[in-house]
Amino acid sequence: MRTSPEHKLSKSAIKAWRLSTAIACLFFILVPLFFWIYNTFSPNEMGFSTWVIVSISVVLLIVSGLIIFFLPEIRWQHWYYQVDEHEVDLQSGIFIITRTLIPVKRVQHVDTRQGPILRSYGLADVTISTAATTHRIPALDEETADIVRDRISKFARLAKEDV
Amino acid sequence: MFDAQRQHPVAALANAFDIIKANFITILILIFVGSGGKQGDYTLYWIFGTFIALLIWGGISWLRFRFSVNEGELKIEQGVFVHKKLYLTSDRIQVIDITAGVIQRVFGLVAVEVKTAGSSSKEAKINAISRKEAEKLKKLLRQGSEQQTATVSGEEKANKTYTLDNRDLVIAATTSGRMGVALSVVGAVFSQLDQVVSDEQILRFIETHLPNFTSFSIVAISVVGMVLAAWVLSFVSTIITYYDFEVEVREDDLHISKGLFERKQLTIPFNRIQAVQVKEGILRQPFGYAALVIESAGYGEDQGNSSTLFPLISKQRLRTFIDEVIPEYHVPVDKRVQISKKGLRRYLLRMVWLSLIIIAVVWSMVPYGVYSWLILPLMLLLGYQQYRDAEVKSGEDTIILSWRLLKKTTAIIKKYRVQAVEIKQNPFQTRLDLSDLIVHVASGNQGRSFKVRELLEKQAATYKHWLSNGNNELQQPLETDSYEEDSPSAIE
Repeated sequence: MRTSPEHKLSKSAIKAWRLSTAIACLFFILVPLFFWIYNTFSPNEMGFSTWVIVSISVVLLIVSGLIIFFLPEIRWQHWYYQVDEHEVDLQSGIFIITRTLIPVKRVQHVDTRQGPILRSYGLADVTISTAATTHRIPALDEETADIVRDRISKFARLAKEDV
Repeated sequence: MFDAQRQHPVAALANAFDIIKANFITILILIFVGSGGKQGDYTLYWIFGTFIALLIWGGISWLRFRFSVNEGELKIEQGVFVHKKLYLTSDRIQVIDITAGVIQRVFGLVAVEVKTAGSSSKEAKINAISRKEAEKLKKLLRQGSEQQTATVSGEEKANKTYTLDNRDLVIAATTSGRMGVALSVVGAVFSQLDQVVSDEQILRFIETHLPNFTSFSIVAISVVGMVLAAWVLSFVSTIITYYDFEVEVREDDLHISKGLFERKQLTIPFNRIQAVQVKEGILRQPFGYAALVIESAGYGEDQGNSSTLFPLISKQRLRTFIDEVIPEYHVPVDKRVQISKKGLRRYLLRMVWLSLIIIAVVWSMVPYGVYSWLILPLMLLLGYQQYRDAEVKSGEDTIILSWRLLKKTTAIIKKYRVQAVEIKQNPFQTRLDLSDLIVHVASGNQGRSFKVRELLEKQAATYKHWLSNGNNELQQPLETDSYEEDSPSAIE
């Protein structure tokens, strides 16, 4: 394979992703919560033992701790992107490595997006749409995102004027 | 001018049938489920009542529907609860389809569908007007745009038409690969059979009529019976869809009409074609037949805009057909890449896993499921064939991808139509230096992707690079029209 694209995402992407994964992991709490509610409202003999609930909670806590700590970092390490006048080159994926090339002249529009979490870390996603597909470069610095967006749009315009 | 007016009252009926048609499967399920209970007697009332309600609904929407043409602008007002007004200027209109469904035919009427490049094309459908009015409407809407003159001059020349004769239609129906859908329908019906016939009745039937049969042969017979029923269903549905199929090659578009009960007509401008696919079904390949399918952008049809260009064509005729109808898709090939020996291993392994899963399920659930082991060699054969058929060819400005799932598909894609290229690698592939190559083209709203598995990583990377780097190409004049895909004004 050709060498990976040269740029990496912003380092603070890791922190932002940790936060968003942590929020996603909050849903794990629902599982023991469900058991607990079931226990309190069901007739006595039918309930689950406290043991089960505690051990499930512990396992879930450990798992989500690992996910929150390691996954964003690994994901960050595997993300590369590069934009030049001919193409947008993306590489991502931990197990399944996906390499995507978008000819710049195919780009229909580019936009940057920011949720509350990304904003608090000064980050933004760049979304690139063609007539058939949509691609995302996640979590770039705000300034970088702006530059990347403008660059792609400029190259796309140039390519069209060329022809 | 066309003053504001309603459709023909038959539209009420047509509206009702449209709703039934759109929700046919849901209704079928509801009827089956609903009739399961003890109060099965009420089913008929239910059906009748629903139909009346739909008719009333259709009537109201007929009352609310008005259309008019003013200075080349089509205005449609409609909506039972929400009132909608739709304005379409004639130079935005791409296609005016005149179709006649069963109901329209009975009353000698037609339906007119007006389509633009954007979405929501379903809105602009006039369900029932007389043919004369339809032609007048079409003329009025065509007046503003220059396209009129173009098509008129085009029509004066004798347009080439290709038709599917009855013999070919029967062959197409016999070998159509629609068994999958049909099988599921038959399966659903079979599973409901015990509601109509009780177990004792079945047993008695078996005892009296088939005394010498073992339970094994009964299982075998029911399997064969289901396959046969599915085949008949797919046979009939193919005949209905492709009856009197005709392609007309006009100056700048293709005109396709087909259908037994409901005549469907599509118009596909040449500059909207994004890719061409040749599909060789398992049943058709041995006889040297294939089907041609085109992907087009910006034309409002369901299912991501694949339309059948020709349902059945022999391989010898295929080349001349492509030459005459879509000549730019006939390209000399100067480079071809097949799958390496390393790839074969993964093709076969995938089949082994797949068949093991199927065997496990069938074995544990069906009597005599042991025999499902027979599919393993068949699947391996299929895997080997998949490996043999997969290849990537290229020439000039065109890439040709071939692969097989069940049927062999060959996609011919112009380089300047490619929207994005992707290379995928899972850890097992990384170890063997293999990767999947995926090419995206525009089609409908979502686009369509074509995938060849287990190419050597180096080859995939070369193709990826070649496809995405088109600036040093000679085809630049062609590229201009592909840019304007989304702006409706691009149609001269």
